[in-house]
Amino acid sequence: MSTFGSYVREVREKRRETDRRYSLRQVAIRIGVEPAYLSKVERGDVAPPSEATIVRLARDLEEDPDVLLALAGKISSDLQAIIRKRPKLFAQLLRELKKVPDHAILHVVREVRDGNW
Amino acid sequence: MITLQEDRLEFRFPEVHEEAQCSISFQRTLRIPDDEKDYPLPPGFGKFPLRHLDDYAGRIPEKWVERGGVIMPMFQSEALWIHFQSNAYCDAYPFAIKVATGKIDAITGERWREGLHSDPQDYVVIPTQPWLDGYCVERGVIRQFVAMPLGEGYTVEEQITGESEYGGIQIVAYPMKAEIYEEMRRSLRDGWTVFDFCRAIPMPDMGLAPGGRMKQEIYVDPYGLEAWDQEHSSRCFVTIANSLTWRAITGESPPTIPPTAADYSKACLPWFDYYDGDEKPSKGSKILAGLASVAELSKKKGQAVLPENKSADIKTVINIQKKHSPNQVRESTF
Repeated sequence: MSTFGSYVREVREKRRETDRRYSLRQVAIRIGVEPAYLSKVERGDVAPPSEATIVRLARDLEEDPDVLLALAGKISSDLQAIIRKRPKLFAQLLRELKKVPDHAILHVVREVRDGNW
Repeated sequence: MITLQEDRLEFRFPEVHEEAQCSISFQRTLRIPDDEKDYPLPPGFGKFPLRHLDDYAGRIPEKWVERGGVIMPMFQSEALWIHFQSNAYCDAYPFAIKVATGKIDAITGERWREGLHSDPQDYVVIPTQPWLDGYCVERGVIRQFVAMPLGEGYTVEEQITGESEYGGIQIVAYPMKAEIYEEMRRSLRDGWTVFDFCRAIPMPDMGLAPGGRMKQEIYVDPYGLEAWDQEHSSRCFVTIANSLTWRAITGESPPTIPPTAADYSKACLPWFDYYDGDEKPSKGSKILAGLASVAELSKKKGQAVLPENKSADIKTVINIQKKHSPNQVRESTF
């Protein structure tokens, strides 16, 4: 079973426990695929869907699109474009950050600045 | 720390606990009629755009830049509700959230004070409280948040302090103490149920004023003041820019004007009701209850500031029960 498919099934089933809108059929309709296809994806019988479908699925399940894309072995096209623009620099940066703990990486992320009020 | 992701403020406290994370967004909605009837919860029409204020420092008044935070567009007399979300997949990490408008607490009507207070309780607890639509005026009733220009006397800040200094929305988040969260999570797993533009163009400050009445309970803190880690907090000032100036500031189009409550209802689209029998609702603020609503004040002033204030005939109300999922659906399209 694929990591992507099993993760999607686990999240969807967990949501379905409290909200019937998360049945396989209803989720498939909302993201624009056939229920049978989504079932195969969840079972790992077929490769993960396209980037656009994964992003729609992530939004429907309120999951992070980048996390689902990573589980599907993909990198979002906007991130690819960022890396392609300065490939050497970003490759170096990512390798440098490989072993850095999460809290240290979060310091690199842009924070909302607090001022005087 | 607070970051901005897809028009949501993401609060993270990795120094407290790796799961101490929640997000807050501001939902576009219809303005309920300000006619003294109690309306159910209106839908959300998607998030208001949020931008780092610093990105537009050369185009906005210096006073706004000093406050830091983010900027958001609203039309005059447009309404909003605040959506609180905890980490959806893990056991939701609880937070105490203080919300003020113009530095007046939206729950108590008191002036802004640092820290959390229990008597009266000046914060909401998430995920217990999924949404906040307005000022808590009495038990089970709020008055909707409605945007009005500062300086005309409508905002809560002006009605209470007589001044129009701050406007906007102020938010502070306090995570639960890590050891209490861990203990609670163990109990849950054991099967317990707890729960470059020129400055010459006028950019008037906007604030929030009390609008129509709506049925919404603001819940009493089920954990108690001692549960919150007051040594760690993150705060944000949300400046509200008039949507008419949004393009000049950011180069982007503002969201469209939502439909009127009457038109929405006529289209048989749903309203919502949320009830959590396990939680105790707070009794509301006498200070806030004593304020004049926008419609009441505009009548006194002889001004017509609320277009389309016709009463709405509610046809469809969807009851939303409390669920274990912290992220309740309350959205619609029109």
